Amino acid sequence: MIRLVGVTKSYRVGDQVIPVLKGIDLEVGRGEFVTIMGPSGSGKSTLMHIVGLLDRPTSGDYELNGQPVLHLPSNHLARLRNQNIGFVFQNFHLIPRMSALRNVELPMVYAGVPRARRRDRAMELLEKVGMANRAHHLPNELSGGQRQRVAIARALANDPAVLLADEPTGALDQQTGAEILRLLQDLNASGRTVMVITHDPHVARAGRRILHMVDGEIVREEVRDESR
Amino acid sequence: MSLDEMIRMAFASLAANKTRAFLTMVGIWIGVASILAIVAIGNGGKAMVIGAISSGSERNVIQIVPRELVAPGLPQPGQVLSIDDSDLAIAASFSGVEAVNETFYGTAVVESGDKSDNVTLFAGPSDLNDLARFLVVRGRMFTAEDVLSHRNVAVISQSLANKLFGSGNPLGAVITLSGVPLEVVGVAQPEQASLYSFVMGSDNLYIPDTTCEDIFPNWTASEMDVVVKPGVDVSSLANRIVLALNIHAGDPSAFVDSSGLLASVSALVGKVTTILTAVIGAVAGIALVVGGVGVMNIMLVSVTERTQEIGIRVSLGAKKRDIITQFLVESMTITSLGGLAGIATGIAVSVGLRALTGIPASVPWPVGALSFVFSAVIGVICGLYPAVKAANLNPIDALRYE
Ligand SMILES: Nc1ncnc2c1ncn2[C@@H]1O[C@H](COP(=O)(O)OP(=O)(O)OP(=O)(O)O)[C@@H](O)[C@H]1O
Ligand SMILES: [Mg+2]
Repeated sequence: MIRLVGVTKSYRVGDQVIPVLKGIDLEVGRGEFVTIMGPSGSGKSTLMHIVGLLDRPTSGDYELNGQPVLHLPSNHLARLRNQNIGFVFQNFHLIPRMSALRNVELPMVYAGVPRARRRDRAMELLEKVGMANRAHHLPNELSGGQRQRVAIARALANDPAVLLADEPTGALDQQTGAEILRLLQDLNASGRTVMVITHDPHVARAGRRILHMVDGEIVREEVRDESR
Repeated sequence: MSLDEMIRMAFASLAANKTRAFLTMVGIWIGVASILAIVAIGNGGKAMVIGAISSGSERNVIQIVPRELVAPGLPQPGQVLSIDDSDLAIAASFSGVEAVNETFYGTAVVESGDKSDNVTLFAGPSDLNDLARFLVVRGRMFTAEDVLSHRNVAVISQSLANKLFGSGNPLGAVITLSGVPLEVVGVAQPEQASLYSFVMGSDNLYIPDTTCEDIFPNWTASEMDVVVKPGVDVSSLANRIVLALNIHAGDPSAFVDSSGLLASVSALVGKVTTILTAVIGAVAGIALVVGGVGVMNIMLVSVTERTQEIGIRVSLGAKKRDIITQFLVESMTITSLGGLAGIATGIAVSVGLRALTGIPASVPWPVGALSFVFSAVIGVICGLYPAVKAANLNPIDALRYE
């Protein structure tokens, strides 16, 4: 499903080249739940942005669904992102001034889904994450946990095969975080590939594979047995 | 993404900051409104001036004057190229001609008691008021009988009456012209805003042509007035008579049809008014440009404020095109609404002006339509740079932006 070979990313600051990712090889199969841990600045978010087609690596190869994607024009990447990737961010990143419902509809707007169908599907998704009764609330009228549920509903809008979550529980208390995690696990159980970045070992243990990153490299991979 | 979806989205984000959207709109509003008001006033003024100049030129009288009269203003007695009896006979020989009269113009001095004044003297038949475009407001016009009998009667203009008699009654008073006493029978006022009232002075004396010939035997006619029978094509007859007179005079430009002159003057005035309107309109256009710059400024602010939103939209699958369109539609919505408000205001101004002043001000509909299109185009021009800037934001930076 996801295959990275020798992916590097470096930034040029002044005349200094700062390597952020130093040769990442990573394969994630369909339906896997992978978590990534590592100290701050180790390149986790950068890796996730590359996997999510928001950013291009400096070198290396990337195949999504067996198809090399790095040579594709940005319009094409936008469509792949729209159809195949769902993002969940630490700070939720809901668009203020737009209701929960409108936020969830947005990926479908860009996919060209007709209005009525879009509305129904958004409502359905909000129901699934337990937010149907808050559909017409603005983000700033919702609690952190509620916002993250809406963000997850939005990430699911076009039924993407891959869900990428960058510290989805980072801004939440432990109990709310556990609920969000359970939601992600349910989504994984129904067949979605899920990648979660976290600092929390509890959260990390939700995945069957835990990747440890240090300084732009995957230094260790922990594979847990099926029972948890 | 469909158009109605984009417009819905644009309204939603403008609604999020209504005051700002409104204030931005005001710039375009004022610009469009002032241009339309100026065009309306210009058109109205032009219609009124031309209407005034050519008012009454649709008569069945051809006024033929020697060329010399046209250029340097009013002639001194004897200065004019003469219209003599043979000329009158030529004009009278055309079929379709009912009658041929002569009128005399000149400057003269009139006296009354110890007062005297320089006047413009008009002498002609009993329908001189029609030819020289004045209305008798008190007393009467001299009659055909007066003319036939060489009576010493005169009609004087209101301003001459004021000068000679002050607030006293001029009717029945006697004035002296070149030593000859004349009885004042009427007081005249120029027809409203006719070309004659522009060109001719306001101290005027009107007397029968027969009386004038008695007083100034050496004067020759300044104008030949050919009365045309009903149903005859006046302008073609005028051309033929002028041609015949010129051939007779041996000079291709000895005589001209002064009603034709009137037409060319009104065309000139029309042209001048149009140019004037265009110049003032261009100045008002500056208001529109300023409004456009305001729109661009606000759109740039909006792009900066919504950097994160743009990043989120891109992460959800928005293409560059979608982001550009979003901001373009927003700025077009602002300027189009401003344009509509401006058109409404411009029309309101012209309607109000028409009601208050009688100037036939109006906004021609192509101008209205054009200014709507133009305000939308301003939206595109002024929105383009901010929109492209938004679309070229790096989504990662945009997402990190707090
Ligand atoms: N635009 C940039 N220019 C230069 N350096 C950058 C830029 N973006 C990121 N970096 C650097 O890349 C490195 C990795 O950043 P990244 O956000 O991937 O870390 P992270 O592992 O997600 O950290 P955290 O756990 O704090 O979120 C950091 O050292 C950061 O300074
Ligand atoms: Mg990070």
